Amino acid sequence: MKQEEVNFAKSNSFNLTMIPGGFARKMRTCVIWQFFRFVVINLKMLVVVSKSH
Amino acid sequence: MARLVVMGGGVSGHTAATFAKDWLGDEHEVVVVTPNSQWNWIPSNIWVGVGQMTKEEVVFPLAPVYEKAGIDYRQAKAVSIHPEGKDDSDTPYITIEYTGAGKEGQTEEITYDYLINATGPKLNFGATPGLDEGHTVSVCTADHAVHANLELKKIFEKAKTEKQKILVGTGHGMCTCQGAAFEYIFNIEHEANKAGVRDNLEIKWISNESFLGDFGMGGLHMKVGGYVVSSKLFAESLFAERNVPWIIGAHVNKVEEGKAHYELLDGTTGEEAFDFAMLIPPFAGVGFKAYDKAGEDITSKIFAPNGFMKVDADYSGKPYEEWKASDWPRTYQNPDYKNMFACGIAFAPPHLISKPMSSPNGTPINPTPPRTGMPAGIIGKAVAHSVCDMIKEGENAHLHEASMAEMGAACVASAGKGAFDGTAAAMTVYPVVPDFEKYPGTGRDTDYTFGEIGLAGHWIKHILHHMFIYKAKLKPGWTLIPE
Repeated sequence: MKQEEVNFAKSNSFNLTMIPGGFARKMRTCVIWQFFRFVVINLKMLVVVSKSH
Repeated sequence: MARLVVMGGGVSGHTAATFAKDWLGDEHEVVVVTPNSQWNWIPSNIWVGVGQMTKEEVVFPLAPVYEKAGIDYRQAKAVSIHPEGKDDSDTPYITIEYTGAGKEGQTEEITYDYLINATGPKLNFGATPGLDEGHTVSVCTADHAVHANLELKKIFEKAKTEKQKILVGTGHGMCTCQGAAFEYIFNIEHEANKAGVRDNLEIKWISNESFLGDFGMGGLHMKVGGYVVSSKLFAESLFAERNVPWIIGAHVNKVEEGKAHYELLDGTTGEEAFDFAMLIPPFAGVGFKAYDKAGEDITSKIFAPNGFMKVDADYSGKPYEEWKASDWPRTYQNPDYKNMFACGIAFAPPHLISKPMSSPNGTPINPTPPRTGMPAGIIGKAVAHSVCDMIKEGENAHLHEASMAEMGAACVASAGKGAFDGTAAAMTVYPVVPDFEKYPGTGRDTDYTFGEIGLAGHWIKHILHHMFIYKAKLKPGWTLIPE
């Protein structure tokens, strides 16, 4: 059974939110994709830092 | 020679003192008064609290760093402020009581030309009966986190054979710093999975937020997967995915051994049993007294009722509908004494950021505004800049500004610590205080307010840990590292 089916079934509160599917969960720990996101997030954070000083 | 006294050696005070000394050089004197002998990178206390870091990895001794920088370091707590001096002298001064270096209990007066109050919060465990009696743990200091980990490991051991209940969140209706508890609960969940005991643990969240993802900032809207969504959905998703149910809008009003009593926003009451609980205490000002030249108590003139110092903010107490971003301070200068500033948690916010709420019984239940981390550092640096300019150019020098309504913040909430396992939520928010005149829908710039979950956040948290400890130790190039 898909993991999201298990969690959606646990409570009404859980059922009314969003839960990532298998692909989204996989991408969170995919090193190549995460390296790309690491660069993007750092660039975004640098912009926020520069706008804050 | 002018003397700047900085009260407090945390993120804001340390930033202010070290930059001021760097800019002023040996011509002027910088004194730091802090009761602590060690500097603590507080965000990493979370990892200490689950046994993934040692205390020694998140602290370092202040004395050698200040000696190298030429800063006069007094390991003492400030007791009172005398901004008009006393009978025989107009020179303002503070009184301090030593807490270390073999001088414990001794008192002294330190005169100043400029004063920066960066004392951080008093961890007000006493606000909730039972919260300071050892029934719960905290991760607010490195020592607290060490203790929390020891207690957590006992629970993990018991969970190998029997069901255990874990409760994490806020220990009072007026707490701030939900982010620390948020990060801690997901680290516990992650470590429980690693230890193979998750199935025997019931992990529950309890918070004073009226909705998950409020974080004391009234929530935020962020770009996720091409949509602009409320942090409510983002946070609820995290809890649901990890099978962590929540109680929100809760004022914990009493803690007993194994049981927390609470009142909810709808006025109902309840109790939650636990085998292990980490409940963040509310923050208050450290409790200074202030006196005028005649020795009359002027504490209420300088400090707000919660003990935080009044600065250039709008404290008129106008209704929620009239709140504006411009109510928030820009220079952090005390309106009555122009040579006094407050930064970091020590300044009094003009009002809540989250919508004020209370139960039908009149109990206020809402998070108070966060002023930690990046904003604390930026404000500390701006205040130091202002003081240095006043020393060099005279008291009418232009003051530097750092409004939280024009400032962003970056936050990384980890769930685990490994380079290839676990995930972290990396978030930025811009500005911290929403500006509904500029952004009428969300109050914030959604190009720079975003959240994302993944390993990248872990790597960023590791980098931040090492980078900020490197900076705080004043190692080569430290001034180039942004706050």
